[in-house]
Amino acid sequence: MTVPLLHRRRPKASDAERPDGAAATAPSGQPRRLSRRAQIARDRSLLIMVLPAVVLLAVFAYVPMFGNIMAWSSYSPYQGFFGSPWIGWENFERVFSNPLFLNAVGNTLAITAFQLVFFFPVPIFLALLLNSVLSPRIRTTIQSIVYLPHFFSWVLVVTLFQQMFGGAGLLSQNLRQHGYEGFDLMTNPDTFLVLITMQSVWKDAGWGIIIFLAALSTVSPELYEAAAVDGANRWRRMWHITLPALRPVVILLLILRLGDSLTVGFEQLILQRAAVGVGVSDVIDTFVYYQGVVYGDWSFAAAAGLVKGVVSLALVLGANKLAHVFGESGVYKRA
Amino acid sequence: MNTTTHLRKASRVADVPVERRSFLGMVAAGAAVVGVPALLTGCGSSDAPQGGEAAGVKLEDAIPSYIPQEYVEPDFPSVNGSTPGFASLPDALVQSVSAPPGSGATFVAMTPLWGTIPPTKGNKYYEAVNEALGSTVQFQIADGNTYGDKLATVLASSKDVPDWVCVPNWNLPPRFASEIVGNVFQDLTPFLAGDKVKDYPNLANIPSDVWKFCVFNGRLYGLPMPGEVLTDATFYRQDVLEQLGISPDVKNGEDLIALALELTDTGSGRWGAEDLWTTAAIIHAVPPKWRLDGDKLVHRIETEEYRAALAWNAKLFASGAVHPDAVAGQDGDAKQRFQSGKSLIMADGLGSWNEALRDNLGANPAFWQQPFAPFAGDGGTPVLFKGNPANIYSFLKKSDDEDRIKELLALANVLAGPFGTTEFDLVNYGVEGVHYTKDADGLPVPTDLAATEVQPTYMFLVGGPIANAKVQYPGYVEAASAWQADAAQYLTDPLFFGRQIAEPQQYASIGQPFQDLEKDISRGRKSLDDLEDAVQTWKSSGGDELRAFYQDILDKE
Repeated sequence: MTVPLLHRRRPKASDAERPDGAAATAPSGQPRRLSRRAQIARDRSLLIMVLPAVVLLAVFAYVPMFGNIMAWSSYSPYQGFFGSPWIGWENFERVFSNPLFLNAVGNTLAITAFQLVFFFPVPIFLALLLNSVLSPRIRTTIQSIVYLPHFFSWVLVVTLFQQMFGGAGLLSQNLRQHGYEGFDLMTNPDTFLVLITMQSVWKDAGWGIIIFLAALSTVSPELYEAAAVDGANRWRRMWHITLPALRPVVILLLILRLGDSLTVGFEQLILQRAAVGVGVSDVIDTFVYYQGVVYGDWSFAAAAGLVKGVVSLALVLGANKLAHVFGESGVYKRA
Repeated sequence: MNTTTHLRKASRVADVPVERRSFLGMVAAGAAVVGVPALLTGCGSSDAPQGGEAAGVKLEDAIPSYIPQEYVEPDFPSVNGSTPGFASLPDALVQSVSAPPGSGATFVAMTPLWGTIPPTKGNKYYEAVNEALGSTVQFQIADGNTYGDKLATVLASSKDVPDWVCVPNWNLPPRFASEIVGNVFQDLTPFLAGDKVKDYPNLANIPSDVWKFCVFNGRLYGLPMPGEVLTDATFYRQDVLEQLGISPDVKNGEDLIALALELTDTGSGRWGAEDLWTTAAIIHAVPPKWRLDGDKLVHRIETEEYRAALAWNAKLFASGAVHPDAVAGQDGDAKQRFQSGKSLIMADGLGSWNEALRDNLGANPAFWQQPFAPFAGDGGTPVLFKGNPANIYSFLKKSDDEDRIKELLALANVLAGPFGTTEFDLVNYGVEGVHYTKDADGLPVPTDLAATEVQPTYMFLVGGPIANAKVQYPGYVEAASAWQADAAQYLTDPLFFGRQIAEPQQYASIGQPFQDLEKDISRGRKSLDDLEDAVQTWKSSGGDELRAFYQDILDKE
């Protein structure tokens, strides 16, 4: 598990267990500060190992972030960041007064809320279920089967659903051939939330169980044995052993999910945009894409994207704080 | 613009920007009638600023001189600007460019394709054409249905733009004329204007109206693939209808819906129609963009015709005759459904006609799709708006290297060879013995390889004057020429016909909501009342200013 590492304090010079004994310990037992250079020399191999990740993050995440300044200008790719005229907060004013943006925000929140309730817990249940299967062979077989859809692209998933549940799909045609009415699940805006949640569950629930299974595997069987000896039944064992073991992971994932809550399936939604209409399928990401890339209103789209980024950051920080309040370690903790 | 059409081969024109997005369809191509499907999804920019005229610059100064040359007399001459048809190949082809002009360089070209992307390795068609060029054109082919999105992205980064970029007129990104064209693409005026074009005789053979449409901000930027005056039609599967014993007699919009319903048999997985929004716009004579009511400019979205077209399409959808996958907006597969008989009526570009024959005659020799003769929604006299002089053009990446531009223009000169030249023959039919064999009448019979390799690639870069010379499909040239000659009598010039007008960029996306609205109203998710609201929003968010902008252009004339 990565969790314990995340909130472990940065190794200080006091690391008494260091095998080379380089970190001298002061007589009092208090750490003696090493010079910056000595720290670097000591951690050289670790620093080298972390370097590629830092470079990657800098080039693909932090450098592009400076592009956000275009949100305060009337940006044109041909005039560049500094050649475009500055217009202050005008783009943001347009964003907040745009009914299409508000519609996109509404849809985004609706999808997030719905999926938090109906999608997020599914992998947990699946993991508990699988964990109770004793035969390792059956377990790995089921695992492989439920993982598989994760590797399908959204195009395939949507096509598959269209072929199954569409108006000319397998189910509808079968019904018609037996004299019943056909139905069309794919083009009904009212049930769109259910539809995309079904798709998400089918595609990703299996993948999501991996992390929970890993958490469950760390629980010592002795705990179960001891509880059983004490007379705890199946449900009590789950309540007092399994679920507490899962709690830190669940909270961690919940926080991460909250940070992502304004990011809801760009591909999945853009693919079904025409089927159900913009009214229910336009979310912040697709809104930004159409305004920016397709209609060429880069600055306006950047402003909308930035609003989303700021809100997401606030959500992560808030949720993390909340986790601390409940005594969990959350995503990170100040040292 | 005058309303009378010239009979010169040259004068085809107009597009039905009715909705550029679904109009892909209309494109039928220049030298060869290349089909582009209708109903592309989501090409943005309905009100994309078109390129344009700059104050005080005469279009005539920017375009090449017109030096026509005719190699073969057409068997079916042009009627009112319709595409001339050639039913047979001339005995002797003329080689119009004596030696391959290329330097052996490699150029990257980006083109759309509505079909299966041909293989690059060992492609005998590419090899043969590149040999005739003397340089290699390497294609980056993108799905035509989403080409507009791809273009918008590629053009935003000027240094990554390919050497030669095909841009369909309906995919012109917002701000194309105001920002993109001058920053990204080469101004060809110094190379081609006036008599300078004489170095490239096949380009000089392209009529002036077509070149005028390639002028942005008073400078010549585009290389055209001349377009046909008639661009779209509503096709039905004549072969299937015959099997069903139905002979269609469609005189008005109600007839068409009734026919679509009659053809629908959901139990056997067959529906009457695809999304017929293009048809709806045509039969209700929705103007491409603006119309003059008295002395007032009226935008298409404000017209009764537009409302009527929406109401009709909504009625069609409500009848249940539209294939469910089309209801789900899967336009990319529309052709496939139509060609496999899962839907039997479809609006498409005229060029799709011969492409469908190319793709289907092998497996189904009886395959035949036929366009309905033009009719009006209310049964009156139909009105058809002329297609643009060019629906697809290409641009060369800006370069300081004059020789490079000259070389590319020399390659374009080869590709623009008109019907009757060896160049036309090669580009359109491929290599004899490889992509076609000749039958007893001397007509080319395509081989299987032709269907995979001879896709419109070079054809989308530049083309000679329009000509229908798809002689390899039995009966096609006759049928297409006859339909066009009949339909051409209803042609009329839309307002601002054949001109590139650069709209101020702030109006770039105000027309956008209508593309979504058309889908929503058609599918019954929104009503015509929502249209009223959208029109009001359009007016207040810049529509009225846009009207004033166009009024200003009218007043100055």
